[in-house]
Amino acid sequence: MEEAVIIGAGPAGLSAAYELGKLGLGATVFEADEHVGGLSRTLNYGGYRFDIGGHRFLSKLPLINEIWHEILGDDFLLRPRQSRIYYRGKFFDYPLKPLNALSGLGPLDGFLIVLSYARAQLRRTDAEDSFEQWVTNRFGRRLYEIFFKTYTEKVWGIPCSEISADWATQRIRNLSLGGALRNALFGHQRGRDGQVITSLTEQFHYPRFGPGMMWERCAERVEQAGGRVMCGVRVERIRHDGGRIECVHVRAAGGETMEVPTPHVISTMPVRDLINALDPEPPEAVRRAANQLRYRDYLTVVLILRRANVFPDNWIYIHSPEVKLGRIQNYKNWSPEMVPDPAYTSLGLEYFLWEKDPEWTWPDEQLVEAGIRDCARIGIVSPNEVEDGTVLRVPKAYPVYDQGYRDSLAVVRQYVQGLRNLQLVGRNGQHHYNNQDHSMLAGLFAARNLAGAQYDVWAVNTDAEYLEEARSAAPAGRLVPTRLQPEPAPLLSAEVVARRVFARLDPVALGAAFACVAAVGLFLATAGLLLKGGPKVGPTLSLLSQYLIGFRVTWTGTVVGCIEAAGIGFGFGYVTARLRNWVLAAGATLLRRRAAAEWRRRPAALG
Amino acid sequence: MNAPPDDSREVLWEVARLHAGVLGFVGAVLGGAAIWMLTVWLVLKGGPTVGAHLQLLGQYLYGYTVSWTGSFIGACYGALVGGAIGWVIGAVYNLVVGLRE
Repeated sequence: MEEAVIIGAGPAGLSAAYELGKLGLGATVFEADEHVGGLSRTLNYGGYRFDIGGHRFLSKLPLINEIWHEILGDDFLLRPRQSRIYYRGKFFDYPLKPLNALSGLGPLDGFLIVLSYARAQLRRTDAEDSFEQWVTNRFGRRLYEIFFKTYTEKVWGIPCSEISADWATQRIRNLSLGGALRNALFGHQRGRDGQVITSLTEQFHYPRFGPGMMWERCAERVEQAGGRVMCGVRVERIRHDGGRIECVHVRAAGGETMEVPTPHVISTMPVRDLINALDPEPPEAVRRAANQLRYRDYLTVVLILRRANVFPDNWIYIHSPEVKLGRIQNYKNWSPEMVPDPAYTSLGLEYFLWEKDPEWTWPDEQLVEAGIRDCARIGIVSPNEVEDGTVLRVPKAYPVYDQGYRDSLAVVRQYVQGLRNLQLVGRNGQHHYNNQDHSMLAGLFAARNLAGAQYDVWAVNTDAEYLEEARSAAPAGRLVPTRLQPEPAPLLSAEVVARRVFARLDPVALGAAFACVAAVGLFLATAGLLLKGGPKVGPTLSLLSQYLIGFRVTWTGTVVGCIEAAGIGFGFGYVTARLRNWVLAAGATLLRRRAAAEWRRRPAALG
Repeated sequence: MNAPPDDSREVLWEVARLHAGVLGFVGAVLGGAAIWMLTVWLVLKGGPTVGAHLQLLGQYLYGYTVSWTGSFIGACYGALVGGAIGWVIGAVYNLVVGLRE
């Protein structure tokens, strides 16, 4: 019996196959690479596992979370999230925190950012076709140039004025400067719609041995359900006739070819490659449109370092324009089991390139040396602690949202709609910068469509909205989007709760805070009286000199008094924090002793 | 079954952050309440000279007097100043913790 063919064993393709297995329908997955997982695969270099980019398993979609846990169970770790931006020799928290950014940039830049933001609010450009216009309108030109322009151009290799505003709409729509300021005051990362911003939450799930572990298990489940996953097999031609795909022509790594008839095709291969693989060829206009779609290529240099702790982040964005390095992943901080020896660390130095760039064809040794140089320049790594390195190249890793992509994609979609048993899903399959969960959802929906559902797989995106089966369909049979309830926040583990409840106050920080308030308070109180003047200035306030030696209600005396007040304030804050921590520790000890006593009283039969 | 693990070293290793906004709110409530109560206490206590020293606050808090009306004016000022102090303490604390990390 003919089975559906799925092109690509990434998250979208394997999710489709997994769902087909549950529906009792067979599928054959053809994957050109030797490994499953697509961009979510994990590779192993001498026991050091590394990923292609960062993959946090974090989703607002209950169905996807369910599938992840279904497949991976206890091998799904809960990990803390930390990332920073490296720029101008300094590290900035990401997401940006106003006070942190201000302290790093300095008051002058901070002032210019505020001015620039105000100007943007008063004189917005009406046209918002480009990423540059979109971001400048919302954050001001200064902040755009500091925190958005250099990195975005490094990632995409084209000026921000040539990047479509769709990119900003999709990736940073829910962020705002006002929101960042509110977050700085009240500490909740919520977007404009009031929902907690998924991508910014402080924890995420991650498979013990990397995202590839998820997809390897998924592939096993697909095969257990009767499907087939064939790696190292590339789809070369897709034959169609009368508006239907008839068969796919594949070639294995060893050179042998095969023709596979199929009633349905779910494709995750890059749109450009798909159109060029169709036989007979589509019209010239369609091929031209497809060939205008661009893809950013990706290269990672993996370094093995003889150091246990390099930096605490999961990843660091390198905004500094003086190095081509775009991002650094610390795989050990994703999962400790990504390295075989905890005394070592593996870093992934990520470069975003075009295949035509000279670095793409450099020998691996040269790339490793360049990576070490870039890291040393940043000050993260010392060359003599690097023991080994390797390189992975990933062509067509990311679909590019240039100014013409939307029109080109529209032409391609129009044509593909005419092939009734072909569905396109996945990031490259739809030329849409999906996150993993949305690629999976599109794959699931494509699979369900083979069982009679009518999901519009093109409507699945990074928004909270997605489609479900129509309760009232439009005349053309297309579905009406329905907003589903967001998933309730996951329960925190007892360990996480305990750590937060018993978290300590930093005595130095609290001392500094009280010192600041005391000094500024005394200064303002004294200055107020001095400026007010009069025959006798501050006769009562001067009584403070009984406690603050040298304090007078004069400008000089104020300085002396402020220094002493700062010292007293620091001492007060320091002692308060220490005392509080001591009381908390005492409370924790008491609780632990009670728990131990309770444990000893448990009947032996319970173990 | 094993005995419960001794995780005494596990607690108190994470550094707490303060919610500056919440601290500001608390400071505002405490500051406003403090000035109101201090003023009302003296007003109720009465005497030939009511609040001889407390009235010096009027040098900083325009419109404040040791009276019923003044207690509410003082409460507003106290809330403002207390809120600012609380927020600054929280913000500076978080800033210093961030720098130290």
